[in-house]
Amino acid sequence: MISKLTSLYRPSYAAALIYMLQSTEYQIRPYLRWVWRTDDFSGVMHRRTLERTRPAKLLLAALSLGMLVQIAAGLLLVYLGIWHNLTGGIAFGLAVLISYPFIWAYLIVLPLVLGRELIARPKEQMLLNESDAIFAKHSGIKIAVAGSYGKTTMKELLTTVLDEGLKVAATPANKNVSISHARFAANLEGDEQVLVIEYGEGAPGDVARFARTTHPTHAVITGLAPAHLDHYKTLQAAGEDIFAVADYLKGKHVYVNGEANAAKPFIKSSYNVFDRHNALGWKVERAHVSLSGIGFVMTKASQELELHSNLIGRHQVGYLAFVAALALELGLSSEQVQHGIAKTKPFEHRMQPYELGGAWVVDDTYNGNLEGIRAGTELLKELKAKRKIYITPGLVDQGEETERVHQEIGRLIAAAHPGIVVLMKNSTTDFIKNGLKAGDFKGELRIESDPLDFYTNLKHFVAAGDLVVMQNDWPDNYA
Amino acid sequence: MVYMETVAVIFGGRSAEHDVSIVTALASIIKPLELTKKYRVEAVYIAKDGAWYWDDKLKDIKLFTSGGIQDYLHRAQPASVQFDGGMMLVKASGIAGRKQTRKVDLVFPAMHGTYGEDGALMGLLDMTGIPYVGCGVSASAVCMNKVLAKKVALGCGLPVSDYMSFHKSFIERDASTLLKTILKRLTLPLFVKPAHLGSSIGITRATSETELRNALEVAAHYDDEVIVEEEVPNLIEVTLPIMGNDQPKPALLEQPMTKPEDFFDFDTKYLQGGKKGKGTAKGAQGYSQIPADLPKDLYKQAEELGLNVYRVMGCSGIARVDMLIDSKAKKAYFNEVNPLPGGLYAHNWNKAGVSNVELVERLISFAKERHAQRQSLATSFSTNYLQQF
Repeated sequence: MISKLTSLYRPSYAAALIYMLQSTEYQIRPYLRWVWRTDDFSGVMHRRTLERTRPAKLLLAALSLGMLVQIAAGLLLVYLGIWHNLTGGIAFGLAVLISYPFIWAYLIVLPLVLGRELIARPKEQMLLNESDAIFAKHSGIKIAVAGSYGKTTMKELLTTVLDEGLKVAATPANKNVSISHARFAANLEGDEQVLVIEYGEGAPGDVARFARTTHPTHAVITGLAPAHLDHYKTLQAAGEDIFAVADYLKGKHVYVNGEANAAKPFIKSSYNVFDRHNALGWKVERAHVSLSGIGFVMTKASQELELHSNLIGRHQVGYLAFVAALALELGLSSEQVQHGIAKTKPFEHRMQPYELGGAWVVDDTYNGNLEGIRAGTELLKELKAKRKIYITPGLVDQGEETERVHQEIGRLIAAAHPGIVVLMKNSTTDFIKNGLKAGDFKGELRIESDPLDFYTNLKHFVAAGDLVVMQNDWPDNYA
Repeated sequence: MVYMETVAVIFGGRSAEHDVSIVTALASIIKPLELTKKYRVEAVYIAKDGAWYWDDKLKDIKLFTSGGIQDYLHRAQPASVQFDGGMMLVKASGIAGRKQTRKVDLVFPAMHGTYGEDGALMGLLDMTGIPYVGCGVSASAVCMNKVLAKKVALGCGLPVSDYMSFHKSFIERDASTLLKTILKRLTLPLFVKPAHLGSSIGITRATSETELRNALEVAAHYDDEVIVEEEVPNLIEVTLPIMGNDQPKPALLEQPMTKPEDFFDFDTKYLQGGKKGKGTAKGAQGYSQIPADLPKDLYKQAEELGLNVYRVMGCSGIARVDMLIDSKAKKAYFNEVNPLPGGLYAHNWNKAGVSNVELVERLISFAKERHAQRQSLATSFSTNYLQQF
């Protein structure tokens, strides 16, 4: 209790507040929620420390200065109260002294609000207006990639494969909101044949707005699952928003992942549906999955195409087949497609296999949705291993669906029959445990209170012959 | 609240292998034990002067690698051990002269070489009556004496290479006569070793009379008993970590990737990461091939020899048996046993499918099993002997 209270008055408190702002990408609501939830600020910078960027340094300087001024004012009042009999000086001075950590935790958002409203927003609006015109005029094929999950994977696959025969540009990394699209547009050369634009939905109306400003000609919907339900509230609302891009295209050149069960009610007859068995008229057969990748054969009439990718997980087959089929439709040769698919490889922390002390670890810690969990547990079930270990803290941002989703996660894990399940202690742990029980899980269950410590020491828990699937990782602001 | 057993990990010690012991304790024992979250782990360090220290700070490898241990030893009060009804660690708490105590439920010895691995510590622990990990007094004493171990193996019909042994006084008294005796009976090249040291300390390969004379002096510098062994021709060196009590289980045969002339001295083993060999990784894991690349029948022969050696020496818990193979004659010879393999040979166990955490947990369970067996033995016998006086 005392150490929690003193954490407010430690010199590192100001840096902790700025770290919290930085970790929540300077968004006020998540920051404030984190502040309200935290009772020991000394443990806030657990996984990382404050990255001293220019805005962070400026905010830290402002915050430190503000706190010092308040402390000085408090001391002055106490001094006046003692030596000059200022009425209420001592009491008020002490109150000023004691209250500075509380006051400045909130006051620090003020420069953010002002900066955002007076400087950033007008600048962004200007950039958005310019990008609207750039996208509208651009003559290339503009492929929008939307969905609750699999967007970055699909974008990277499209870029890697289409790049074998066409000039392609894509939104960088996971930069997928309006301002990122605008910055992407500003850097275009104009002669690109294909633009791949990722749509990062977060709240109702996002995807419709992205479509209006980026003017897509094609759209790929990778899936629908409970995500960002703190804003969407229901899966229906999330689906409506994601499929707004299909409405924008009036159903033409819309491609939907048919394996996403939740997306099915939104699919119209004019949409092209692909899955691990069929893609744009191609039949997908003889798929085999291992830790070294995926192989499968696509056939259409007398044509046959044998493909191999370094990606892992059977759930990737549909994506790869669709990308190959679209590339062929856009004029790439079979050889170019084969070469492009062969170049595809796991992305960092997304179904990325690596060897650890003779064991195989599949790092899917960037996954953040139920469908990803389904894919990870399917992979765990499918691959052979002497001992199977599954590790997860659960999912964030599941809103009212939290309990149902985590019970489902427990059932999915149990169905993969791992020998050991490791859960990170948090608000969802009991729901997963209930799901494991319902799924008749018979292995060993470990509950870890310090995820960072566990991940750091994973090498001590595994040995040759083990297969470890590690999904989702909660950043500090959720832990 | 769930009761957590206290495990004391004892390391360091008055031995030439003091530093190796620190790494074994901190990297391969204390960390995995703490990760089990089943035990309260106490670090008990025996300094080079023999003083005992008990402190959580001793769990930090940086204290030793940075040289900060010297400052620590100047400041810290040594701990003591009480043996009334088990084992109790005692040290000054620094608060009003009060003593801090901790009752130990189980000891995990991590001391290599003299006073630790040779049975001395095990004898002390037997007196306390608490369980401890690894070989007991007699097995440790036999294994750590290379001469005695060869005699036991020979006596049980297990193959060993030709050897001779001498007390250091022979070397000091009349080295020339001794050299003649050796060269009359054994053929060069020869390996000269201190009889009791591990980690390849003081070992020399001699290919001439002059080298042999020097090698004897080096070995006698470390030990009062010296063993001289004939080199096995067409040599493949292998080592086999083994774990268990009555039903020992082998890990994988490991083959160091060196030529006979580049045998593993301490420097190669621990400091160069096997640079004399083909391995690339750092430390003791980089110089070997696991499993050894041997024909199936030869692999089986060596594995069986290793298990037989483990049994006849009376090993329990864990040990590592080193063997020499004549690849042309397809024959394996017993070389020596290490009753506490450096780092528990965790890298080999990992490849055999045993994680570091599982390894320490299994060793603790073997220690408890052996302790329970010993507890069931009668230790008193009623006679009227005293009444006759």
